[in-house]
Amino acid sequence: MLARIAHELYWLGRNLARAEFTARAVEAVFHAEIQGAGDTRPGVSFGSGGLLAMLGDVDERTSSGEVLAQLTLEPTHPGSMIASTERAREGARTVRDVISAEMWEAINTTTLRLRGDGPPGWAAPAGPYLASQYVKERTALIWGIANRSMLRDEAKAFLDAGGLIEISDMVLRMLRVALPPGDAANADGHALILLQAVGGFHAYLRAVTAPPNAQPVARFLLFERAYPDSVAACVDSLNEAFTSADAGPRNSKPVLRVSRLAADLDFQRRALPAGAELTGICEQTQHELTRIDQDAAERYFAGAASAGERR
Amino acid sequence: MAGGFVQPSNAHTGTPRENPLVSTGLQSKAGQGYRPHAPFLDELFTADGTPRATAAALVAELARLGPQGLAEAGRRRDAIFMQQGITFETSAGGASGSHERPFPLDLVPRVLGGEEWREIKRGLAQRIRALNHFVDDVYHAREIVREGLVPWRLVSSCSHFARAVHGIRPPGGVYTHVAGCDLVRHSDGTWKVIEDNVRIPSGISYVLENRAAMARVVPELFASYRVRRVDHYPQLLLRALRAVAPSAESEATVVVWTPGPANPAYFEHAFLARQMGVELVEASDLVVRDDVLYMRTTRGLERAHAVYRRLDDDFVDPLEFRADSLLGVPGLIRAYRAGSVAIANAFGTGVADDKAIYCFVPDMIRFYLGEEPILENVKTYLLSDPEVLEHVLERLEHLVVKPTGESGGKGVMIGPHAGEEEIAGMRAMLRREPDRWIAQDVVRLSTVPTVDSDGSLVPRHVDLRPFAVFGERIDIVPGGLTRVALEEGSLIVNSSRGGGSKDTWVLEDGDDADRAGPPIADTQPPALPDLSYGTWNNQQQQQQQQQQEEPAL
Repeated sequence: MLARIAHELYWLGRNLARAEFTARAVEAVFHAEIQGAGDTRPGVSFGSGGLLAMLGDVDERTSSGEVLAQLTLEPTHPGSMIASTERAREGARTVRDVISAEMWEAINTTTLRLRGDGPPGWAAPAGPYLASQYVKERTALIWGIANRSMLRDEAKAFLDAGGLIEISDMVLRMLRVALPPGDAANADGHALILLQAVGGFHAYLRAVTAPPNAQPVARFLLFERAYPDSVAACVDSLNEAFTSADAGPRNSKPVLRVSRLAADLDFQRRALPAGAELTGICEQTQHELTRIDQDAAERYFAGAASAGERR
Repeated sequence: MAGGFVQPSNAHTGTPRENPLVSTGLQSKAGQGYRPHAPFLDELFTADGTPRATAAALVAELARLGPQGLAEAGRRRDAIFMQQGITFETSAGGASGSHERPFPLDLVPRVLGGEEWREIKRGLAQRIRALNHFVDDVYHAREIVREGLVPWRLVSSCSHFARAVHGIRPPGGVYTHVAGCDLVRHSDGTWKVIEDNVRIPSGISYVLENRAAMARVVPELFASYRVRRVDHYPQLLLRALRAVAPSAESEATVVVWTPGPANPAYFEHAFLARQMGVELVEASDLVVRDDVLYMRTTRGLERAHAVYRRLDDDFVDPLEFRADSLLGVPGLIRAYRAGSVAIANAFGTGVADDKAIYCFVPDMIRFYLGEEPILENVKTYLLSDPEVLEHVLERLEHLVVKPTGESGGKGVMIGPHAGEEEIAGMRAMLRREPDRWIAQDVVRLSTVPTVDSDGSLVPRHVDLRPFAVFGERIDIVPGGLTRVALEEGSLIVNSSRGGGSKDTWVLEDGDDADRAGPPIADTQPPALPDLSYGTWNNQQQQQQQQQQEEPAL
């Protein structure tokens, strides 16, 4: 397929996943904040400030209400949910001939609705929260349509690859912000919120016997291959996606790098003692993902753009 | 009819006046009786306001819907178009920047009889064949010029005359693969060609989308009609492109080339690529190596054999045409000349649809085909002749003046609608550069009832753009795009200037017998599998028994 189209699909996947995980984070903060001062109240690190830090955009002067509004429905804020959705729509419009009509319509209506074209609008204070809920539902719908209506060919592989790399990146960001090293007191409270934010609470309870404290939750989100949004599972699927799309996977740089990362994560899972510090691994993995992104751009997208050009 | 009862069905009653729905419906429900504007011909109603025979059932359904029903259907249509992203970017509406609005489709279809359509189709095929001969002739022997029928000065001064492609003959000798001639219906009922488009005529996607939307929003209108299908166009186009592609392999790679998502017709480019199942490429995807055209894919370079291009000659190759074009592919003309790639439409076809050449088309038909033209031209005045110019200048307020090199209704002045100042300005312009303009008689465009903003029906002027595909033979999709001027009295139908569109129905003739299709096989499908009640059920019963046996706490 055309390198440009593959590139657009890859970024369509990334933008969809980014919108979804921004929505998830916003929802978590909203919940944490309205539940008010109790013993388990999280510290500021996973409040609105942490949210901004997670998205790589720290400005401490704004109040938390404003931050939520900015991150959800402020179209001029590049990291906002609506901005990601708008970019996804632009991308989908460009590849309209590749994705199914149903999928395009789902993305289009999501964007139009977020713009506030239809009733009800997204008035504060609950607006950001309702909008996040909406985005969560709609991205699930969009991926569902993609899985059911798209041919499992290169196009789907690149769409998936974009989504997977973005999900693992977002999970890593959340982990690094919510569970900072050496802050055990707050971290345990955050862990539960984090788990609920990514929607993995139920899966965790079924997979792990330990209470949802910082250490086991971090291990779960990093290493648990049976949980689809864990970093290890995403990297595995990313490996599959690139391998199926590649003409010569045996000597392809991105494929080799991804498979090495997958093996590395598996090794760490076995080698690391329970209770070991995971921050270093998060950092390395995130760094490795950036390089995979660059390799993919070089190999598949005709060097069309280096990573981050579309952000 | 079974049982001998004769039901007063809408489709079969003689005169519509006998049908109470029509007469009372239009007067009471639509608020007022529909009156065509004399002297224009109305296609659904006769001059005294009675529906024509083919339109009776349609009018009855419209009356049943009433203004409210039509307005409601209109809202549904807009919602569907917004959802599907079939929109128009307009800058109107204030300083807030561009604004998307749904594509303007009017809910009253235009109805053409089968016989009438056959005549149009024959006329169009004839005309397109002649235009194709003309393009070939212009870039080769120039016989028509030598015969003195068309002055060379006019051909070579065309803004779309392309010296770069002189002497190149594409596969099959086909230049005008896709053509759309604009037709209008005069008040005497005859069809006339008002303009030819053999460069990159657009609008076919709206023909297909309009039909899909009509079937979804107002299916009841179709009830008494057998309308010929239009949705095979993409397959016709694909077949034509494959037929001309220079490919030794069994399957040629066909691509659609778009200038990019910012182009107003991008929706159509993507639509055609999707419907044909081929790649939609931009210039950055294409590269020429050793006179062969390739596209950049995730697996390296792959060859493209046929290109359906949707951008102007000027931009396609910076080495041969405009050097500042960023949308072009360097070396493309070389590849084209080497015959390694087919381009549809061929480069340089713009000479055939230039407005100065238009008035010679009937002569071309006689010269190349030895036939009499089936479709007439509108009376046109070439202003390079001083005598004609004087004659035109005197009666400018009764004529239409058009610039020769433009399309899309740009720069057109309609004399009867123009102010004193505009006419004076045009008069000065014509004296200065008579070659750049032509003058035409005003055509009394026919009208079709159109839904007004309040849901009532009002007469509005229409034209028709049928689409033809020229591969191994010429195929024309039944009907075409009917464009309608949405403002009262306006004769300008271009969508860029506030025009809308209508679904165009070409009726099948013959009876309903051949419509039924093959009978459904007389088989009994097996019953749907269901939960089998066995062990689980027993368990539940046991649970219930146990609950009953245990005493309540």
